[in-house]
Order: sequence, then structure tokens, then C-alpha cells
Amino acid sequence: MKLSGAKALLMLPALLLLVAVFLYPLLRYGWLSGHASSVLTGLRPVPNGGANWQRLIEDVRFWKDAGQTLRFAFCSVALELAGGLGVALLLHQPLRGRGTLRALTLLPWALPTTVMALGWRWILNDPHGPLNAALRSLGAPSYGFLTTPATTWFFAVLADVWKTMPFVALLLLAGLQSIPADLEETLRLEGASRIQILRRLTLPLLVPYLSLALLFRLAQALGVFDLIQVLTGGGPGGSTESLSLYAYLNAMRFLDFGYAATVMLATFLLLAVLLGVGWLLLRRARIARTTGGPA
Amino acid sequence: MPLRRLRAGLRRPPGIPGPLAVGLSALLAAMLLALGVAPGLGRLQGAAPQPVPIRALMPAPLADAVAGPVARFNAKNPGVRLEVIRGPLDTEAISDLAISSLLLGEAPFDLLLVDVSWLAKYVAAGWFTPLDGWFGPEVLAAMEPGARLGNSIGDHLWRMPLTGDTGLLYWRTDLMDRPPRDTDELVAISRDLQRRGKVPWGYLWQGRQYEGLSCVMVEVLQAFGARWWDGASGATALDSPEAVAAASWLDGLLRHGVSPASVAGFTENDALQMFAAGEAAFLRNWPYAWREIEKADGPIRGKVGVTTVVAAPGRQAGGTLGTWGLSLIRGSPHPEEAVTAIRWLTGETVQRQLALEQGYAPTWSRLYDDPELQRQAPLLVVQRAALQHPEPRPLTAAYAQLSDLLTRQVNGMLTGQEAPAAAMASAQRQSLQVLRSMVGTPAAAGTGP
Repeated sequence: MKLSGAKALLMLPALLLLVAVFLYPLLRYGWLSGHASSVLTGLRPVPNGGANWQRLIEDVRFWKDAGQTLRFAFCSVALELAGGLGVALLLHQPLRGRGTLRALTLLPWALPTTVMALGWRWILNDPHGPLNAALRSLGAPSYGFLTTPATTWFFAVLADVWKTMPFVALLLLAGLQSIPADLEETLRLEGASRIQILRRLTLPLLVPYLSLALLFRLAQALGVFDLIQVLTGGGPGGSTESLSLYAYLNAMRFLDFGYAATVMLATFLLLAVLLGVGWLLLRRARIARTTGGPA
Repeated sequence: MPLRRLRAGLRRPPGIPGPLAVGLSALLAAMLLALGVAPGLGRLQGAAPQPVPIRALMPAPLADAVAGPVARFNAKNPGVRLEVIRGPLDTEAISDLAISSLLLGEAPFDLLLVDVSWLAKYVAAGWFTPLDGWFGPEVLAAMEPGARLGNSIGDHLWRMPLTGDTGLLYWRTDLMDRPPRDTDELVAISRDLQRRGKVPWGYLWQGRQYEGLSCVMVEVLQAFGARWWDGASGATALDSPEAVAAASWLDGLLRHGVSPASVAGFTENDALQMFAAGEAAFLRNWPYAWREIEKADGPIRGKVGVTTVVAAPGRQAGGTLGTWGLSLIRGSPHPEEAVTAIRWLTGETVQRQLALEQGYAPTWSRLYDDPELQRQAPLLVVQRAALQHPEPRPLTAAYAQLSDLLTRQVNGMLTGQEAPAAAMASAQRQSLQVLRSMVGTPAAAGTGP
């Protein structure tokens, strides 16, 4: 596509906005990551010859957090897509009270994350929370859900899925409604089973919506902050700390801006590579499908 | 088509009838006129000059506690209007809030109630004005030894302490005749009571991955003769045999069932609630907990004794210093008036009231000598004893990082992810790494303020 002068001019405001909110901060991070800028330098940037990057490479905590962030994002997004699809298919059925049901499904999505996380923290409280009260009424001892790394991680994922599945479901529901009903009707008349319709018609036509939900959710989940900060504070023993939380601590609590910028930039690069690879894979899959399979 | 309908709607002329439009514009004009003229009218009538506004940011509990004194201050000083901003309850949350505004340059407050563990960082960032011009060295001399700590850095006074709180040990007077004298006794009494079915748990404390765990660690390290921070060399000493012994003791409390495993997720309030429900023999907490227990109509009301924290046999015990004090923000447009407010809020009258109503420990020695106050605030004797040998947290600008590191490792140990020796060795290694990278060279690490 060739850009005419008028078109380029029309794109200029959007481009300027992108530069201001995206490119400038990135360049600034890049510049700051080459400096020591902490309480010990009086918050003034002092060039430190790549010491921040060297520290990052040797920083066990950064890599551990990176692994934890990826694990969290992949698990929760996978569950959200699967669950969201199920919910969307259910809400697409001509049920009585469907409107009310759809509104109810959206409730968790409408709640502020902080409030939701505080609620979960209370539910899981050991020993006073309702979940432990239920356990004890069954004769079992109370359990430290938020002091055992495995269960803490599990509930962090669960809380995220609970909150954002409605978003995915809503997106996919819109997709479902864009599929012409007569296509489905035709397939059914030709004797296709429900599973066949889902596999051959619904899912392929939903792919654009699925990939949109995937990219949205992945970008959000990889930057998870508020849920972790409120629910676990990164604990126990740092086992749920995410990269965003680590960057935040470096900047706001440790006042170590040079290193915080390095962590942010490294996180950004990591995510850009990941999302880029994901996008390429999706595109290849789509081309493969439209051209009738890979060579 | 919806779009066409929308366009039609846009093209329709506005539906406000003529007379109403005239009325509305007249009203608007009158309002604008009033806004412009009113201040001038006030000046014409010779109204009193506006009082100088002084704003102080405090954590919610302390903001509520000083509400009365603030009202009296405003009544006595018509030229100043002191206003307290109620910050969040959590110590770290309020520091994050303050830092967010301080980083932007012009903070919307003149005074900040500063936790003892923040001071070095804020001073290094250059956010405070020293108070030497208003308070001479004799001021601190009139305070208890522990209350003098953590207010001066270098040759300057940066903070006037409002409370003299330290960590204390709470014990059940209905379960034992006297409190334990050392850590061995604490464990022995706990296990004996647990064996006899008197209480489900022995000792409750704060083990969540947050600043409260650092406060516990300061006390336990001291109790086993270890030091977190070596001020002389400007480095940490967390892998010493004593430090490992301290961590092992804490870990053993959980493994032997003296403390419940849930302690690893406890903040002050979690531990207090469980103790107040009568489920344990001992509690580590701050002075406020005593009033909370006595105020509530719980099962152990009137059965709680308070004493200083204990050490291993033959060691010197020390409660963690957890004092709050007021600092003056650099760039405050009204430093004189702000200092007047500091003087009043940290003065004897207000501290006496805080001791009586909330149980906060005063800083002034004269208040501890007052027989009337001693009678009304029974905790005073213990608080004074605790202020003779308190343990401050490392006084370095890098403290937030060191504390975060240590709580992360220790909480990992408490939740079974690492053995005590490995956890402490790792904390030590990472601490030195952080100190090196923040200033460049290891030797310079200690030369921070």
C-alpha cells in the first residue's frame, strides 16, 4: 500500500501519540539503564558502564521471577481461553434469562483487582478464612494456602482466571454471534454432529477472536502486578513475585532507578520477543489454513 | 440503520426553548460574576488573613490518634491551619505513597510521619530539611536512650520522634507465674503448656514476607549474639554462625510445633487476633496490642502480662526499635509554622495523651518519671526498660533492599523452601551484591549516610 501525503498527514497525530507514550519512555529507560541512579548517588544519574546489565545477567531473582511470570501467564491464559470458550458457547445457546446470565458472568471482570485480591486473601486466610472454616467443619486441620508455595501459586492463577475469564468469554461471544446461523443450519442438515460443527466451522471462524483474546490476555498477564502485590506480596519466600513487582520494588521502594529501568527494559524485550513469536506462529497457522495446509 | 439515526439526531437542533436558554445564560453570568467579585468583597470588608495551611501525612491509626491534639493546636494557633492527611494503614504502603509524591517534586504535604526504618533513605534522597536550626542537642538528651536513636544522620537532626515503641513480649498470666527469662524457657514453657492441653500453640509472631518479619529478625539475631549490619565495615554479616543459629531457632519453632505453620503468613494483626482468642501462650507485638486486647471483650482480657523480649541464655536481649517521628519536607513554603506543629505534636502533652489513650510509648524521660502517668499506663515501666537496650534496624540508605532480601530468604526458610544455613548464606551473598552494585565498589558501600 502506498501512502499518499494526505493519508500520512492524517496518521501523524496517532504517530506522535505513540512516540510520546511509547518510544520516548523506552528510549529514556534505555538511557537510564546505563546509569546508576539510586539513593546512594543522591538520585542523580551517574554513568556506570553497563554495571546494571551485568547485574541483571547475574541476578538470580530476575531470572527466577521471569520464569514465575511466564509460568503464571501461560497457565492462566490457557485456562482463561479454554474456560472462556466454554462459557461463550453456553451463553450463545438460546436459554431463558440469557441476558441476566450474561450480565452476571461479567461481574468478576467489573470488580477492581485490588478488591478482588483482598477478597481472595481473606477467603484463603489461615486459620480465620472461610475456606479453612469449611475444612475444619469437615474435621480436617486448617491449611496454609498462602504459606505453601504450590497452593499460593495455584490460587493466584485461579483468582486471575476467575476475574478475566468473563473478558475472554465476552470477546468470543461476539465472535460466535458473527458466525451466520444458516451455515450451522446447513451443516446440521447435512448430518454433521455437534462436535464436527464445533471443529470444522465454529473454531476456525473463531480463530481471529481467539488470537485477539490470546494477545490481549498474554500481554496483560505477563505484566501482572496488582493481583500479586495484594494477594501474596510476592511471597511466600518470593515464590510468586512477578517481573513487574520486582521492577516496582526497585523503583518505588529501593529508589534504585537505574536498575529498575534495566529490569523494565529487559522485561519489555522479553515480552516483545515472546509476543512476536506468538504472532508469527498464529499468522503461519492462518496462512496454512487458508492455503489448505502447510507444504 | 442505527448510524443514519445517529446522524439525524446530531443534525436535529438543540431542544432548549428560548426563554429557558436566556434564563440559563443569565444564571451562568451571575455565577461567574459572583466568583470574580467575592474575593474582592472579602478584602474590602477587611476579613482576617487566611491561616497558613500545614499538611502532615500520617498512617491512618496515628492520624486518628492525633485528631484531638490537632484540633487543639488549631484552636490555639489561629494563624496556622494544621491538617492531617490520613494515609494507608500499612507502613510500606504509606512510604510508597509518600515517595510517589516526593519524586514528582512538589509534595502536597509539609510534614511526614516517618518510620525509623525509612529515615536514611529519605535523607539520602534529599527530601528533608534538617531540624538543627530549631532543636538543639539538648532536646534529644531529655529523651530515653532508645528514643534518641534513628533521628540523626551525620551531624544533623532529621526527625523529631513522636513515639518510642519497641517490640515487646506478651504472656498469659493465667498460665504461668512469671514470664520466661530466655528463649530456652520460652520454648520449654510453651511445650509444657501444649502437652498439658492448656493452649494449642506456644509462641505467635510475624512471619509474612514483609517488613514485620525484618523486625522479628532484628530481635532474634540480637538474641543469639548475631548482627545484621556492621556499621564499621558497612556490610552485612548474615552468614555468621550466630546468625545461622538465630534463623535455626526461628525455623525450629515451626518445625517443632511451638508456633503454627500459619505464622509464616502472619502480620501483626493476624498474630494479635489469634493470641486474643486465647490460642497461644506468647505473642511478639508492639505496645498498641495491649490496649487492643484490653479494649475487646475477649477470653484473655485481664490475663495478659507484657515484658521485654528474651534472648538466648547469657545473651543481651533487645526489642526492635519501631519509633515514628515527624520530619520537615524540603521545599515546604512554611517551615516555621510546620516546626511549630512538630513541637506541639511531639511535645509532652500530646505524648501523654497518646500513652493514655493508645498505649504508644513516650520518648520524654520526664513522662516516664510521672507517678500519675505510671499509675494510669501500666505498660510504662516495661516500655522504659525496653528503651534502655533497643535494637535499631541497619541505618543505611540501602536498608529497604537489604530488608526485602532478608525477609524473602527467611520466609522461604519458614515455608520449607530452604534450610536455615543456606537461606542465610544466600541472604548474605545477595546483600553484598546489592551493596556493590548500588555504589560501584564494595569499599564504598558503607559510606552512605
